[in-house]
Amino acid sequence: MSDSTPHSSQTPASGPAVGQDEWVARHAERRLVRSGRLGTIETRLRRVPWWAWLTLFVALFALFPVVEPSGYVRRVAFDTVLFMLLALGLNVVVGWAGLLDLGFVAFYGIGAYSYAILASDKFGIHFPTLATIPIVVAIGAVLGLALGLPSRRLTGDYLAIVTLFFLQLFQTLMVNGDNVYGHNLTGGPNGILNVDPLHAFGHELAVQHEGVFAVSYLYVALAFFVVVFVALRFANLSRIGRAWRSLREDPLAAEAMGMPVNWLKLLSFACGAAVAAFTGTLFAALNASVFPLTFYFVLLITVYTMVILGGSGSQPGVVAGALIIYPLLEMLRDPNKSRVIFCIALIGALGLAFKLTRTLAIVGLATLAFGFLVHGIAGAIDDSWTSGENAPGFAGVLAHWVVVPASLASWVAPVTYIGVIAAALGLTMIHGRLRLVLLVPTLYLAAFVWENVMLAKPEPARYIVLGLILIALMILRPNGLLGERRVEIV
Amino acid sequence: MDTFIQLTVDGLTLGSVYALIALGYTLVYGVLKLLNFAHGDVFMVGSFIGFGMLQLLGGSADPVLPTWLLLTTITLAAMVGCAGLGVAVERFAYRPLREAPRIAPLISALGVSFFLANSMQLLFGANPRNYDTFALSGGALYFKGVDIGNVKVPLLRIITIAAAIALMVVLWFLVNKTKTGKAMRATSYDREAAAMMGIDIDRVIVFAFVLGSALAGAAGVMFALRVPTQVSIGFIAGLKGFTAAVIGGIGSIPGAMVGGLILGLAESYTQGYWDTRWSDLVVFSILIAFMIIRPQGLLGRADLRKV
Amino acid sequence: MKKALGLALAVLVTAAVAASAQGRPKAAEASTAVSCNSTLKIALVTPLTGGAGFLGNEQASWAKYAVKTLAKPLGLKVQLVLGDTPVEQGAAVAQTLAQKYVADSKVVGILGPSTSGAVAASSETYGQAGMAHISPSATRTSLTKGAKLEASNAFFRVVPGDYIQGPSDAKFMVDKLKVKKVVILDFQEPYSVGLADSVEGALKKANVSTTRLSAPNTTTDYSAFVTRVPSDADIVFFPTQKPGDAQTFGQQLLEQGKKAKVFGGDGSNNAAEFKLAGSYVSNFAPDITGIPEDKAIIDGWKKDNKGKAVGSFGPPSYGATQVMLQAIKRACVAGKGTIANKRAVLRQVKKVRIPNWILGGEFRWSTKSNDPLNAKFYIFQIQSNGKYKLVG
Repeated sequence: MSDSTPHSSQTPASGPAVGQDEWVARHAERRLVRSGRLGTIETRLRRVPWWAWLTLFVALFALFPVVEPSGYVRRVAFDTVLFMLLALGLNVVVGWAGLLDLGFVAFYGIGAYSYAILASDKFGIHFPTLATIPIVVAIGAVLGLALGLPSRRLTGDYLAIVTLFFLQLFQTLMVNGDNVYGHNLTGGPNGILNVDPLHAFGHELAVQHEGVFAVSYLYVALAFFVVVFVALRFANLSRIGRAWRSLREDPLAAEAMGMPVNWLKLLSFACGAAVAAFTGTLFAALNASVFPLTFYFVLLITVYTMVILGGSGSQPGVVAGALIIYPLLEMLRDPNKSRVIFCIALIGALGLAFKLTRTLAIVGLATLAFGFLVHGIAGAIDDSWTSGENAPGFAGVLAHWVVVPASLASWVAPVTYIGVIAAALGLTMIHGRLRLVLLVPTLYLAAFVWENVMLAKPEPARYIVLGLILIALMILRPNGLLGERRVEIV
Repeated sequence: MDTFIQLTVDGLTLGSVYALIALGYTLVYGVLKLLNFAHGDVFMVGSFIGFGMLQLLGGSADPVLPTWLLLTTITLAAMVGCAGLGVAVERFAYRPLREAPRIAPLISALGVSFFLANSMQLLFGANPRNYDTFALSGGALYFKGVDIGNVKVPLLRIITIAAAIALMVVLWFLVNKTKTGKAMRATSYDREAAAMMGIDIDRVIVFAFVLGSALAGAAGVMFALRVPTQVSIGFIAGLKGFTAAVIGGIGSIPGAMVGGLILGLAESYTQGYWDTRWSDLVVFSILIAFMIIRPQGLLGRADLRKV
Repeated sequence: MKKALGLALAVLVTAAVAASAQGRPKAAEASTAVSCNSTLKIALVTPLTGGAGFLGNEQASWAKYAVKTLAKPLGLKVQLVLGDTPVEQGAAVAQTLAQKYVADSKVVGILGPSTSGAVAASSETYGQAGMAHISPSATRTSLTKGAKLEASNAFFRVVPGDYIQGPSDAKFMVDKLKVKKVVILDFQEPYSVGLADSVEGALKKANVSTTRLSAPNTTTDYSAFVTRVPSDADIVFFPTQKPGDAQTFGQQLLEQGKKAKVFGGDGSNNAAEFKLAGSYVSNFAPDITGIPEDKAIIDGWKKDNKGKAVGSFGPPSYGATQVMLQAIKRACVAGKGTIANKRAVLRQVKKVRIPNWILGGEFRWSTKSNDPLNAKFYIFQIQSNGKYKLVG
């Protein structure tokens, strides 16, 4: 660990002053700062005002389509912005108010469905976008308030249950809404099709040009993002934000201090829901259709991973989380990219665990040597054991190290997969030199499993990676990348 | 009247499975105050272990053991396997988070649930697996049975309900009449005080997980005897078991049993008398009503929080 | 003051960049000519994970086999890419995948999407990009027929739609089985709802009394449904995509002493899983194991896929792949060794004719729509030894 010293970056006020909160003014003194060059860089970076960072980020993002013409990549960028918005919304409820809201994506769905109902052929209503969006946001906020009502009497776990069931309720209603006493309200499992694209001032924003994603939607999404980010930041810096923080840290003390705890909870739910509904309109407009199953458990876990990875409670953090997770998930669809990601992740994890020490070099070299040895022996015993991969490029190069059989007997996949999990878990229980020695074959087995078992089915593999990230995060670094460590006083 | 009896039998069968799952939730919540979201997936793994065991023993068309022994063996195998899985999950995903804020193990549980469901899919594919109980001893389990009025209750359902009741009795005995059970109850009242009394909290928690997961494994086999199983059933089964535990009062063992049966009957009656599509809605509405009016459930204790 | 300045700056920058980049869409078709000597790609868009994953995996195994055995004799180097559209995640995934394949110039054709919902969501994208998408299983009527077509004219399907299966099943029930009372189930997803609607409409026209039940997609225990089946109902129409469920339902009918028989759609066609004697199954092809010309194909497939049974979703994907490969070959010949763009392949699809169609007979496109010509449905009854016997 690099050493850190409490450090004040601004001179303290000379004695208490009227109308000034000294504790708040001296908050910079309480920050732990790294010493040395890294520390100076960090302090300088912290001095850059937040809006400069935001502008830089948005500008880079906006320039991105100029360098990348592929419709697919731009579409992934758009989806990432949507996820950033969702992460910001969830951050309000989970990060700032400390409430576990497992029904969050239901509001996303409510926003999308409301937009679809108000601007499509379904009921023949075609409100202009500038009218629809405020209506949808209002609907989202009201329903968020409604969900928050039971939360007044419920604590952590029970709240999680109720919100999870709200999500399930939403699903059931949307899927069965095509036959409510003979009326087709929500299109049921077929969803609502032919949703209008965004249109304002007489101009319609076409969703695609010759099948390719229209980049103008990316800019609209970025504009939404800026508005939401800035609005939420102002909310956080205000009294409401401080009240939320006190609610998160210790609800009982907050109540004892006279905070309107119930109202704060409701407000956080409403805010989060409003942001999600806002995002939902964009989603519905671009996809020109809504289907009920999109807004379900998988989406929920994805958004949660983004928030936790980035650091719940920190806006830049959750944005970073979304920026990392969603493109990662998309890249993992492609076996070629997955391979590269795995190798980078492995080397990165080793680097983080051992830092730049002799141990790292030893472990790395040993794994390489071990791999070549096993590969050589396997190839000598039976050629078909190593002849599975003959594609050019990185896959072929890697196949000289990893054993890639031509065909896998059906018992190999479950046995090696469970084996590598068991080995990895077992390693956490051993200590000392034995651990390093056993690490080498485990790493090689992991490479084998990744190459042969998980790349064969990239889809569940993606979600396994997501689940593992969540578990590892909670155990190793619950405050994520940019969040602050919280201590719960029991 | 016949419809009523039929629906009641259906409801009790469904309810037995839900009750067993709910018991797992309750046991773990009692000692750890954690809602183990991964429990539903343990249930699913149990049904797959049972399937694997069945195939090893020759499959239902040509088993090497007589029916009774076969069913008992696969149930035991599933119980043992799931108990192991539960212990592993506790040891590696929940134990490091025991001192962390309450939100941490909950999120970790979500991650474990995701991980388990997708791992099973990776390894065994998305195909439904059918135990094909119909072929077992020529369909005897379906055609032989007891008659109540005009309704024939087949052997299969009787076995399911009876086995569930038997397991619940065993559980009751373990929890109320053994020393470890007593330790478990003490831990669920007050963990710190129990530790101070010299109870090994780690062992008690492992015991709770073993019991809960074994019950889930048994539930998995009983479920799969009647309908084909898939890797995706874990989530919904978990939700329903959850609901049952909460309705009955989470933390209360008789509550979980009662909650499960109520849930099964409610679902059955709604599907039978009203409209099949709204059975889920009714179930969730009951839950939300309970949460608002009586959060501690039917038999749970209203927790007084000491400040 | 600083904050307001910052906000204004941020908005200004965004607006400036947005204004400058507006109206400059880059068409993905510029310089997308591919040589027929390079490795071309076709993408199979189907649910590979989730509740309907078994469907996609079966289709994938047959499509892979088709590419392996048919591409080389045509002189093509083709790679099959897989795109997963789990039904649990709705159709947005299909659109992202559509974008991905449209942007990739090497992907010259799409097999699928397999689910009708995914087709409805992504067909517009494919259509605008001129990319042919041939589905082996999306049967919803409203995709190619009706007032508002949900699919574009680049959409093809090699299996007949529900508008044929529904009425033909109903006709069989009325004419041959002389039914008076039928219970119809749907599973709250596009395939079964469409088929159930179609059958219900046709039966109502024939004055048969129908009851409609709807099961949530996640239902596994149908006991309560069985209880609702009236004891004098003749048939339960069960358009499931999971043959195991049809088997379970039939068993539970027997268990409760109901006389109704299960009538499954093409999704329940699987002799290994649905084998309850007396039940009926309708399928768009006779059992291909009974077609002598297919023996070589089936044996070859079985060798590559040891231990797997021939289902009903696989052979149509073989057929769809075959059509696609033929279209690509034609495009190569017409373009003298180069495929100019995806539209070149699209133009050739309708011209493809296959004399030894894997599902029997000859395959031709209908002139009026992108559906097969003269498609009909075959109805089987399951015998006591589990074999399917053709009865209609």
